[in-house]
Amino acid sequence: MTTVLLVDDEKLIQRSLEKTLLRAGFDVLTAADCKSGSELFTQNIGEVSIAVLDLNMPGFDGTPKTGAGLDLLDDLKKQKADLPVVILTAYDEVTKAKDSVSRGANAFFVKGREQGLVELIQKILSE
Amino acid sequence: MTNDTHSERHAKLLKAAARAAKNITTILDPYELLQRTVDIICDEFGFYYAGVFFLDDAKQYAVLKAGRGEAGRRMVNVEHKLAVGGNSMIGASIANRQGRIALDVGTEAVFFENPDLPNTRSEMALPLIVGDDVIGALTVQSTEEAAFHDEDIAALQTMADQLAIAIQNSNLHRQAERRSRLLKAANRVGKEVTSILDLEELLPHTVNIICEAYGLYYAGVFLVDAAGEYAVLRAGYGKAGKAMVAEGHKLKIGTESMIGACIAMGEARIALDVGEERVHFKNPHLPHTRSEMALPLIYAGKALGAVTIQSSEEHAFSEDDITTLLTMAEHLAVAINNANLINELKEAHNEILRNKVFEALTTASTEAIHWIGNKTLPISLTVSRLQEEIAEGQVDLDSLKEDLEMISESAAQIIQVKEQLIGAVREMKPRPVLFADALQTAIRQRDLAENIFKVQIDPAAAYVIADSTQLVRALGNILQNAVEAGAKSIKISTHPTEERGILEVVIEDDGSGMSEDVMQKAWSPFFTTRGVAHHGLGLPAAMHVVSQSQGHITLVSEEGKGTTVAMFMPRVHANDEPVEAGNVKNILLIDDNDDWANLFAELLKGTKVKLTQSTDLGKFPAADLILVDEHIASVALMDVLAAISKAGLASKTVILTSAINPERVTQFLRHGAKDVTVKPYSGGEVSELLK
Repeated sequence: MTTVLLVDDEKLIQRSLEKTLLRAGFDVLTAADCKSGSELFTQNIGEVSIAVLDLNMPGFDGTPKTGAGLDLLDDLKKQKADLPVVILTAYDEVTKAKDSVSRGANAFFVKGREQGLVELIQKILSE
Repeated sequence: MTNDTHSERHAKLLKAAARAAKNITTILDPYELLQRTVDIICDEFGFYYAGVFFLDDAKQYAVLKAGRGEAGRRMVNVEHKLAVGGNSMIGASIANRQGRIALDVGTEAVFFENPDLPNTRSEMALPLIVGDDVIGALTVQSTEEAAFHDEDIAALQTMADQLAIAIQNSNLHRQAERRSRLLKAANRVGKEVTSILDLEELLPHTVNIICEAYGLYYAGVFLVDAAGEYAVLRAGYGKAGKAMVAEGHKLKIGTESMIGACIAMGEARIALDVGEERVHFKNPHLPHTRSEMALPLIYAGKALGAVTIQSSEEHAFSEDDITTLLTMAEHLAVAINNANLINELKEAHNEILRNKVFEALTTASTEAIHWIGNKTLPISLTVSRLQEEIAEGQVDLDSLKEDLEMISESAAQIIQVKEQLIGAVREMKPRPVLFADALQTAIRQRDLAENIFKVQIDPAAAYVIADSTQLVRALGNILQNAVEAGAKSIKISTHPTEERGILEVVIEDDGSGMSEDVMQKAWSPFFTTRGVAHHGLGLPAAMHVVSQSQGHITLVSEEGKGTTVAMFMPRVHANDEPVEAGNVKNILLIDDNDDWANLFAELLKGTKVKLTQSTDLGKFPAADLILVDEHIASVALMDVLAAISKAGLASKTVILTSAINPERVTQFLRHGAKDVTVKPYSGGEVSELLK
């Protein structure tokens, strides 16, 4: 079974995405901020095949931070360099997308177009 | 004629001349002087006609300025004039500086052919001389054939000399008066224009003052354009001025026009439609201009523009005019410079404001996009998953229940934002509000722990003018922020400020505080540091409420130490209007013993109404009216309503609230309450309630 690490501070989005992924056949590990996301990944480094990270959420110090998801991306990549990562955001912003890719993200996914998220994860994992 | 008769006549003539001269020299008004002179001479001497001629500027003609009777007026109107040195008596007397006599008798008989004066048989012309200058001549005419003798010339010349001096005095007086009037006008311009700081008001006002004070045909103000290339007409007198401003009338700076040259050279220019420097004034809007003056507007050595001043008279401007108008132009230049400085300041201020507004909008919309995305996404995600599950016939009841809860929670948060936004556009009903009551409602409505609040209300700042519903919302937002920032203690105080009629509400918490950066964004809608469950509309909505009440709100915060919010709002003293109870005799008030309940009891003191206060739902004393406070600490409102309904008293029950809301009104009415209304804070409002 493929395991997805889903980190999003928006409780309802997290649960809804979790259910969508579960329904698509994935195992899902969830966290709501950088610190707990990083710890959860460390504990399950062997199982997690892909990470889906919200862009803006509480950072490692627990306070909300713009672009905190990119800090967690760096952290996860340090732990496992070839981990595929999808960045989730509410903004349709080219600069942030480029920044994510330059820091090793495989995709930048704008919330609201989530119908394609399952297909996107499947596509990344099949590459 | 005998010698005696001759002497008598001459003596009589001398006496008349002396009387005439005495009368003439007392007249200072130039117009009155000439007209009365011809009348005095005719009356004193019994002459048929007298007239006064003045030399024109070119000294070529003697122009009639006043004449006796209808004939005189007619000739003045047609500008009757006689060439100097010509064949006329007047022309000859001026040229020779000597009096002359003409008689219709004897060897030197003269044929008098002036059709206006058909009865003249004798005429005497006397030059009017002041110092070395001949300024005109006086004609006196008689219907007698030989009315004058050579020796009469000396007697009448004395009178003519007196007349010439009177004319000179009158001219000097006129000049002095004119100078004084011009100085007053210049002062008026100076005084009035320097107090106006808006160019659009200043310039039209200036041209009006100039034209009215100087009695001029036209005045206009040109200002140099940004490129320094053209002088653009910014204000002009009358219809002509308005038309030219509308046409965008402008003149190139340089030597092509008077205005252009005056600005280029920084000095006044004068053009007159007379003499050798004859100028053709071609402006179709100003067909009657005969003299024009252009005055530069110079401030700190720089020409800001020029004033054009135009007269319909030839040779209209004297040295005095130029001096006073230059003074006026200096005042005007200072005023224009002041107005320009103010404009620059305003422009700079507007630019800052535009940048700030843009920054605020960008921040607000970015936060709004984020917020809307996060709140609506779970709904669309869940719905699409449910649709798939239904299509596949795999609906799991527990999962469905959870999905519905998620949709419901997202929707509730969106509705909460709607409430914050709609609150701001609700109708405002400002009135004196008991601050302590609004505060208590805000605390209870938000379900905040009452023991963390320390309230200190100055009796002089107990009533604030506001819409109670909006005030409760604003206070609730601020208090909730404080509680969510982890405050363990929130101090609230009110006191009057030094500014008359204004009180200050201070809300000080010991929560986590804000950084400088967060504080800057705190007023932006949808900005929040409190995580996903917040909409970030609390503070902006509170600010909106306070400013709608003609107040303002400030915020000071230090990270780790806490936040202090200060609301400055209009205050008012409690009024002591008497209560008119109508038919109500017994009131049961179901409420805690709080500030509002005490106020209500106080207001009813002067009436015959018996007030019973209780929160005991087991037993309701008899009453004509039952009033229930929406927020009671010791008992839930729904329990109160249920007990009242059970006792069959709902139709006598009115729910009182500080913050009315249509959803709750509907809810309470459905539970059988007779009415739901805002709490009264004054005798007048209590009377209204008891009606």
